[in-house]
Amino acid sequence: MSTLEINELSVRAGSTALISDITLNVEAGTWCTIVGPNGAGKTTLVETIAGLRRPSKGTVSIAGELVSSMSERERALRVALVTQHPTVPSGMSVRDYVALGRTAYHGLLRAPSAGDRQAVADVLARLSLDEYANRDVVTLSGGERQRMVLARALAQATMVMVLDEPITGLDLRHQITMLDLLQKEVRECGLTVIATLHDLTLAGQFADRLVLLDHGRLVLDGPSGEVVRSQELADCYGMKLRVIDVDGADVVIPVRR
Amino acid sequence: MALVAVATIIALVAAVVCGLVVGPTSIATTRVLGDVLSRVGLGHSTLTPLQSLIIWQVRAPRMVLGLLAGAMLAVAGGTYQGVFRNPLADPYLLGVAAGAGLGATIAIVDVGGGLATPSWTPLLAFGGAMIAVIVTWVIGGRGLRSSTSTLILAGVAVASLFTSTQTFLQQQSSTNSIARVYIWLLGSLASASWSSVTLVLPYVIVCVVICVAAGQALDVMSVGEDESRSLGLPVRRVRFIVIAASSLGTAAIVSAVGLIGFVGIIVPHIVRLLVGTSYRRILPISVVFGAAFLVFADTIARTVMAPSELPLGVVTAIVGAPVFVLILSLRRQMVT
Repeated sequence: MSTLEINELSVRAGSTALISDITLNVEAGTWCTIVGPNGAGKTTLVETIAGLRRPSKGTVSIAGELVSSMSERERALRVALVTQHPTVPSGMSVRDYVALGRTAYHGLLRAPSAGDRQAVADVLARLSLDEYANRDVVTLSGGERQRMVLARALAQATMVMVLDEPITGLDLRHQITMLDLLQKEVRECGLTVIATLHDLTLAGQFADRLVLLDHGRLVLDGPSGEVVRSQELADCYGMKLRVIDVDGADVVIPVRR
Repeated sequence: MALVAVATIIALVAAVVCGLVVGPTSIATTRVLGDVLSRVGLGHSTLTPLQSLIIWQVRAPRMVLGLLAGAMLAVAGGTYQGVFRNPLADPYLLGVAAGAGLGATIAIVDVGGGLATPSWTPLLAFGGAMIAVIVTWVIGGRGLRSSTSTLILAGVAVASLFTSTQTFLQQQSSTNSIARVYIWLLGSLASASWSSVTLVLPYVIVCVVICVAAGQALDVMSVGEDESRSLGLPVRRVRFIVIAASSLGTAAIVSAVGLIGFVGIIVPHIVRLLVGTSYRRILPISVVFGAAFLVFADTIARTVMAPSELPLGVVTAIVGAPVFVLILSLRRQMVT
């Protein structure tokens, strides 16, 4: 059984179909990146996996349980979310922010347990954030802030993590740092990652598998190396794409017609 | 945090003593405290029957009602600011004040006849406040599926409707009624009695407990609705419970003491400057600080121009604004 099973999923907003008939199974410890042009339905898909949108048809299951029938707490124990523009509340320390990831474990009326505090300390150390633990979140740089948001999601200790454009606004070095950290979690902890990315080169280099969406429909699903070289990818973007090999890594270059 | 908590409790004790001891009739502090101790079996009271009456039937209920009103308005303001993620939110945001004002005005100007007895004013004020909040909730998309800004806009619309209706009724009434409505709108603890304390006490206890317990949920909500939900927070249920508790408690208080402004907005902000941004700390400290603050403000209101009284809302603003500015500047100095 796959960790994540999406079966004939459709989501509508009023009379507009946002995504239609998407079927997708993702195994544990797999990094699956969703690519596609703007308006393809990438964000809708990750929001539906995270339980923030209800399917108009079809189902999303995590470890065999329907996401739409879970309570918020049950969902938070199974799937963590990193949004495109996370809200960073002024005045909160980095430790307190990361500790929000433990909410589903200790509930709303009890203080975090020793186990929760230890889990937060472990994540802070793993992401080299322990030296910032007592700093106000708004004093962090963009790269540090995004690492902190990832730390909060990791503190949830879920089997699935969905990330919507997690490297938006980061410089090249911080983009690679962020994706390296994530890949380490996939390889070492068996985390299942569903991410959306606009950068096809990084998407191809880090993901095990790419899923191409266009106009709310699944166009292609396969190993990263195959999808970045496919004609379907170029067709979806309406442009010619050239893939070159640099030291064994695929680099996708758009070619102006 | 511990230092602020201790200082706030000391301020509360001082406010209680002030509320009992300070007044136009001079009674020595030691004699008042001696009387308090005699009631728990320690020593003998030296108060005359008249002094005892002043302390226990005039000042004590007024002081206790002040504690309840200050605690409730401050914690409701804090929870509103948290749930709406809006620093300008106060307990009157969803139309409680306008609804209570209209209800009290209907009673005072005696619309329809037979309402001119004092007991109708708090009853109709409470009813008006609750109707205003419920109407706001319903037209704001039940506050569940809609955004908080929709709810705030609905509150503005409902408040405008209720306030204009109240103004119309005032304009149609006699000069005497207009003056009484005006006095009610400014808020006062002058009519406090043990029966009014008994009436609001259950509401305040239940609502304060709910609001304080919501501190952790409000901290989670500071990251926004979608992220809060992904962290396991049932946002819509929490929002409903918190708004219902804050509004119900505020309506109960407003029905007893009229509209006291400033406490609900300024006290949580002062506390935030002292203890940081976590609602787990802001809300319980606001309960104690708000209670102490309002009793001090009332002591000033009833003594500065004795035997006449200053409107309590005026005093809370005059006292609160400089305190807020002072703490803000001290905090800036500490940061720099």
